[in-house]
This record gives sequence, structure tokens and C-alpha cells, in this order.
Amino acid sequence: MARARSPSWRGIAGDPALLGAVAAIWCLLLLLVLFPLAHLLERAFVDEGRPTLAPLLDSLADPGHRAAFVNSLILAASVGVLGTAVGFLFALAAVRAGLGRRWLTVLDAAVLLPLVSPPFTTSISIIFSFGPRGLISHHLLGLTGVSAYGFWSTAIAETLTYFPIAYLTLRPILAAIDPNLEEMAFSLGGSRWRTFRTVTLPLCVPGFANAFLLLFAASLADFATPLILAGNAFPVLPTQAYLQITGLFDFKGGAVLSLLLLVPAVMVFLLQRHWVGRRTYVTVTGKVGQRSRSQAIAPWMQVVLVAACVAVATIIVYFYALLLVASLVAAFGADYSFTWRHYAVIFTEGLPAIRDTLIIAALGMPLGGLYGVLVGYLIARRDFPGRRAMELVAMINYALPGTIVGIAYLIAFNDPPIALTGGALLIVACYVFRYSPTGIRATVALLQQIDRSIEEASASLGAASGETFRRVTLPLIAPAFFAGLGVVFIRSMTAISATIFLVSISWTLITVRILENMTEMALGPAAAFSVFVIVVVFVVVAGLSAVLARLRTPTAGAAARSFLGG
Amino acid sequence: MPPVDIRLERIAKRFDHAVKGEVYAVREVSLAVAPGELLTLLGPSGCGKSTTLRMIAGFEQPDEGAILIGGRDVTRMLPNRRGIGFVFQNYALFPHLSVFENVAYGLRVQGRDEKTIVRSVEAVLDLVGLVHYGRQQPHQLSGGEQQRVALARAVVFEPQVLLFDEPLSNLDAKLRVEMREQIRALQKRVGITTVYVTHDQEEAMAISDRIAVMDKGSVVQEGTADELYYRPQSEFVARFIGRTNLVEARVVAADAVEVAGVPIAYAADVGVGTVVRLVVRPEMVELHAAAAGEPGVARVVQRTFLGERTDYQVALGGITLQVAASDQHRRSPFEIGQPVDLRFHAAGIHRLD
Repeated sequence: MARARSPSWRGIAGDPALLGAVAAIWCLLLLLVLFPLAHLLERAFVDEGRPTLAPLLDSLADPGHRAAFVNSLILAASVGVLGTAVGFLFALAAVRAGLGRRWLTVLDAAVLLPLVSPPFTTSISIIFSFGPRGLISHHLLGLTGVSAYGFWSTAIAETLTYFPIAYLTLRPILAAIDPNLEEMAFSLGGSRWRTFRTVTLPLCVPGFANAFLLLFAASLADFATPLILAGNAFPVLPTQAYLQITGLFDFKGGAVLSLLLLVPAVMVFLLQRHWVGRRTYVTVTGKVGQRSRSQAIAPWMQVVLVAACVAVATIIVYFYALLLVASLVAAFGADYSFTWRHYAVIFTEGLPAIRDTLIIAALGMPLGGLYGVLVGYLIARRDFPGRRAMELVAMINYALPGTIVGIAYLIAFNDPPIALTGGALLIVACYVFRYSPTGIRATVALLQQIDRSIEEASASLGAASGETFRRVTLPLIAPAFFAGLGVVFIRSMTAISATIFLVSISWTLITVRILENMTEMALGPAAAFSVFVIVVVFVVVAGLSAVLARLRTPTAGAAARSFLGG
Repeated sequence: MPPVDIRLERIAKRFDHAVKGEVYAVREVSLAVAPGELLTLLGPSGCGKSTTLRMIAGFEQPDEGAILIGGRDVTRMLPNRRGIGFVFQNYALFPHLSVFENVAYGLRVQGRDEKTIVRSVEAVLDLVGLVHYGRQQPHQLSGGEQQRVALARAVVFEPQVLLFDEPLSNLDAKLRVEMREQIRALQKRVGITTVYVTHDQEEAMAISDRIAVMDKGSVVQEGTADELYYRPQSEFVARFIGRTNLVEARVVAADAVEVAGVPIAYAADVGVGTVVRLVVRPEMVELHAAAAGEPGVARVVQRTFLGERTDYQVALGGITLQVAASDQHRRSPFEIGQPVDLRFHAAGIHRLD
């Protein structure tokens, strides 16, 4: 296939709108992505103007830090394996167990709940259940002196939180495997198990690798769960970096620790992008033939599969019910009398955090949506020098663990010339540049579905490029805009790993207040805050879904799904 | 508005090819389309016909040469200034707009008032037979209906020039015939200068005033369908348009040549003894049963009954000739292996230079 000649500087110079947009985006990326990262690297590797590896070597020599590094990898690998397994179980049940539409909806809802929740929900519920005065450990089993902290509780909490990512990755892959293929193997005389082992599983291998890497990265970057559950016995890198900075005010040490996190994170990112990201055995032909109900799984096995999924879903629902109950009783574990007191607390002394969070989310939402659509459009549709570089740089803050981004922002913007720390602006910027890449991807994916001839048709009918963008392109990528907007809103309500470094007396966040409540053992208000966040997110997501449904463009459905995929 | 002419003056377009390096998609193409004429660019895929069309529209910029529409140089002009109606292969309807709004698009961009828009759109929807379809969404329409919307959208704002890029290739065979007649009728009625791109020679012959055959980025022959069919100037054109027997013949007399040892009455206008190449269309050969007991000059080797005609392959000396026999009223087809005599119609034989 012939390719048009490479983009010229002359081309971009002749189009002032394009030039302006590209220049503006690059200014923002330089200031809010590259500048902080450079600052972080400089803080870690430059001492009195000279490059040095001494801080890194010192940090590695510290047995505590080495343990944190190893623990992080062990935890991430465990969550990767466990989460992929659970996700596969759910995907298999959804695709091959012959469930009805209603059952699937219930399953989907239970699976997606963790993705829209603040990061502590599972952790809080685990403490409620298995803590010293936990519902299960104390009240049900009568155990005393149990500890809910450590590797296992952290790994399980993260698995329950992140397995939906594996589910969302594996389900379309399984669904795209033609049941005829399995039936063919089956008809050739293989047993069901043999067919599963020799046909279905091998076809899923790229999906497994992808899901594992995504979960590995998510666990590696997870800050909230280990902060609550890991305890002193099981330190991991993100929490250690946080304690180094907030406890010891050691910016340099925090920077170095966060960079230790960078090495596996970057490796996983590159692996995922270049190895698995482009590899899939499943070809989409567009021809949907007779989809006979698959016989690839024996009826009794289907029952086992569904039972296992229902069990996991029940645990999730139980955790959320527990949270709701905890927010409505005086003191969970001791006094189960009904009270609104915790809600009274969060709407009085907790009100500033709620107000700040909503303001920040409301500011970040449109900005993130616009930024995602604009960058996605530039990347997918326009030719200009440095396009690939822009695509890559725009993804950096998304791919990096939040701890790194937070510490980089803290270091870069704490002092003049650009002192922004403690302000709402920096928190908004952090969210926009960290979570808009979902919108960018959604926009690119949408535009790839829209043939260029549609824009050419508009041009041939007399519309200039700006008018074409307004009348044709914009309406068609509106679903991506709303999806990007939704993701930025959800994350603004629920994220903590980066922004915990950026809050101040004047601007704070609900998630940070939940963390404070947890450390003060004020579990009631923490539960009430969590319920509040879940309800708000749910309402906004439902609202946006309704908007998407009304857009009536053929591309809206796909965008709606990308809400949660980020 | 009187129709305008289009002139392409030695236009060329290069591409960077991943393997072959710089290649010419179009090289030195010069064409003139008369006002009101329908010219078809015909050729196999990759011959540069679509690229040429897209340069006329302004979607691609020629690396060399000039494009003139109505005498005005538009080579560097943006597509939206050229006043061109373009009909795309994939229709390119705006998926978020109704049929009415799709057709109204060009008028809205021009800022016409609502009354004019409604009147024009309804008139043109009537013209293409979609008068009650205004509120439908594109995805609710069949392929043929979508194509008619695309056509309506391209003509409603009265462009100077109409361009078609393989508009019928996504339709089934029957609809294709119907649509090309509609397009032709509409083009005649509006009298608009039109360039039409297709790889289907039958479609080209049915729809065009004139055809330009393209191969490897160049125009190899221009002319009416009749000229191209009966007087192709190259083997490529002879083979691309219609079915062809391309045979070598030796001139044996001023008015006779010999094909595989069989004499044919044909004045080749070259010296006796010269070997020439002749284009013999299958329907220009007549089969006759050889007299009883005679071996005949040729032998039937294959027969294909196609309803309106029967195709034969006959062995003549060392070569195989295709013969199309339309005399079905005889109802007594030749049998495979049957010896036959051949009669050639000299008027349908053409010598390649």
C-alpha cells in the first residue's frame, strides 16, 4: 500500500488552526508531563550539579527498601496470576455457560462495581470482616487476636479490585473464538477437556499475557490497598515512597524509591505495548454466522463455573453491603444501633473535602474530555512533524504509577518558578493528564472506524476544514468525548495515589479524608464517604450513559464500554 | 449555468512505497472533458484512475501539471472551493445525519435559507425516487438507496462538475445495471460535466460518452466505446475491453491473410509475407458444420451454453479460438469434437500496429 509522502513543516505552517493546536498541546505536555518527570530524575540522580548514582545505590543497599522492591514484585505477580484466573473464570461463564441476558447483566454489575469505587472499599470491608473485631473472624468464628494485615489480605483485596480488568480483556477474546472451531475439534473425537486444552486455551494465550501484564501494572502502582492492609510486615514501594516523603520529608529518598518502581512499570508497559498489544489470533471477519450454543463445556462444568462466579460476586456484593451497613450503624463490630451520624459527620466537617473533590472533578471533567478528543483527533487524523512523539508523551502519565507522577509534581511545582502545589489547579492538571489518555484512545479508535471519505465528502460539499470538524467530526466523536469525560470524573472521585502528594490545607479530597479516617480508626465516616462516592459516580455514569444512548451515532455503544476499560 | 470543461495538463502524482521507493501513481496524464460530457476513466485496480479523480476533486495534490475547470486553474485550490459533487464508492453518508440533512448539507454550508433548502432537497429526493425517505437514518437504508442519497447529495447544490469513484461496485449485479441507467439519465438531464471511474468495462461502455483507458498511471487510449472495442490500439486495450482472440497472421496476398494455415479474406494493407497481429472478436467468427466426410478447418473442443448465446472454443491449427454464436434459433448446437469450417467477418477484424 502506497503511503502519502511524509508530512512537511510547510503543511503545518499553512494551517494556522493546526499549528496553534499542536503548539498548545506541546506546551501543556512539556509543562505538565516532561518537566515534572525531568525534575524527578534530576532530584534523584543529580547532586550539586553532578550526575550521581549514589542515592540509588544507597537506596538499594537499604534492606528495607530492597524488601519493598521484592515485595512489590511478588505482590504484583500474585495479583496478576490470581486476577487473570478469576477474570478468565468470569469470562468463560459469561461467554460459554449459556447464561441468559438478565444473568449476564447481574454478573456484569457485580464485576464492574470495583472499577468505579474508591480504592479503599475492599480494604475497609476486609478489616470489617477479618479484623480483630471483624464480623467473620470475631463474631462468626470467635477468633481473637487475628490480624487482617499482610501479604494475603493485600493480594486478595487487590485481586478482587482488579480482576475486572482481566475479565474485560478476556471476554471479547473468548467471545470471538468461533464455537464452530471448538465443535470441530469436538467432532474430530477429542474429549471436551482435550478440546478446551488444545483449542480454547491456546487461542487465549495472548489474552492471558495481556491481562496478566495489565494486572501486574495495576498492582504495582496500587497505593491505597497496601497502605491500609499491607502493614509494617509487608512494605511495598509506593507506600514506602509515600512514608519517606510525608514521614521523613526526604524528597530525594522518595524520588529514588518511586523510580525503583519505574523500572518494572516501564518494562511491563513496553511488553504490553509491543509484544502482546498487537498480537491476537482472533480475526474479525464481520460475518456472524449461525451462533449455535456452544457445547464445548459439559453441563455439569457449566454449573460449577457459574457457582464459582456467583461465589466471587457474592463476596463482592457482601463487601459493599458491609460498607453500607457500617456507614449506618454506630460502631461496626461493637454497637449495631442504626444512626445517620456518620453521614452527618461527612456533610459537616467532611463537607470541605466533598466540595473540593466535586469542584475538582467538575473542572477536570470538561477539560479532560476536550483534551482527549483534541489530542486523539490530531494523532489520528492530522499529519504534522512529531505526531508519534506527541502520542507517546501523552501516554506517559497514564502509564506511570501514580506515586511517581505525584512525587514528580510535588518536586517540580513546590518551588518557584512554578509554585502550584497545594492549589486546585495542579490537582486538576494531574487528573487530566493522567486519565485523559482513555479519552484519547477512545477518540483514535472511533476515528479509525470513520472513513476519511466522510470528511472528504464534507469538503467536496463546500465545507472548509474548521466547518467539517464542527459539523461532521465533532458529532461523530462526541461519544469519545463523553467517555473521556466520564473516566476523568470517575478517577477524580476515586483516585489517590498521585494526588495524595498534592493536597493541602486549602484543597483536599474525599479519598484523602477516607485514608485519614482509616488511620484514626474512624471507620464509620470512612464507610459513609465511600458510599457517597459510589453513589455519585454511579449517578454520573448513569447520566452519561443516557446521554450516549441519545446520541444515536453508530459508534456510541463502543464508547460507552470504554468508560470502565481505562 | 452553462456546463464547463475540465482539462488535465500533464499531471503526475508520486507516492513513497514501502518496498519500491518512489513510484508514480499517475504520470503525465493529459485529458480534456468537454462541457456536459461524461468521460469514464477505465482501468484495472492500481492504474491511477482513482488518484486522477481525487486530484480533480482536490483531495490529492498533483506533484506536477495543472488542472483547469472552466478555464480556471484549480491545481492548488482547496476541495471545498472547487464546486464539485463527489460520489464515493462507500457512499460516505454522514452517519449522524438523516437522509434529508445529508442532502441538505451542501446547501447549509452555503448558508441558503431554510425555504430554499427544503425545496431543493425535496426536489432532488424526488428525482432519485426517495421522496418519503427524508427522516430515515442512513443505516436504515439499503445499499442502493444509500447510493441514491449520495447521488442526491452530490447534485443538489448544482456543482459545476460531478465526479464518481466506482459508485456501483458495492451493489449487486442487477441493481448495478439499474443504477447506472439512473445515473446516466440524471447526468443527461442536468447536463453536468462528469468524470466517472470504474474498473468494469461493461459499465463504462454503458454509461459513457467517451472512455479513457488507463494502465500503470497513464492513459493508453481514449475514445468512444465503439472505437475502443473495434479499434483498440494496444493489446492491453484489446484484452481489457470485451473478449478477444489475439491471433498472429501472415499476409499472403493484398486481400488475404493466413491464420494457422487457414486463409482469411482481409486486406491488411502491408506487404505480402509480413506477420501481423489481429484482434478478432468472438462474435465476428461464424461456425459452419464441415461437409460430410470432410475434416473441416477446425474442431470444436468446448461448448458453454449461456442462454442468449453459446460460447465455443475451437482448435484451429495450433491455436484455440473463442467463438460466440448467437444464432440460437438453429437449436442444433455443434458437438464437441465436431469438425467445423470458419467464416470471418472482415469488418470486425482489426490489425494492431
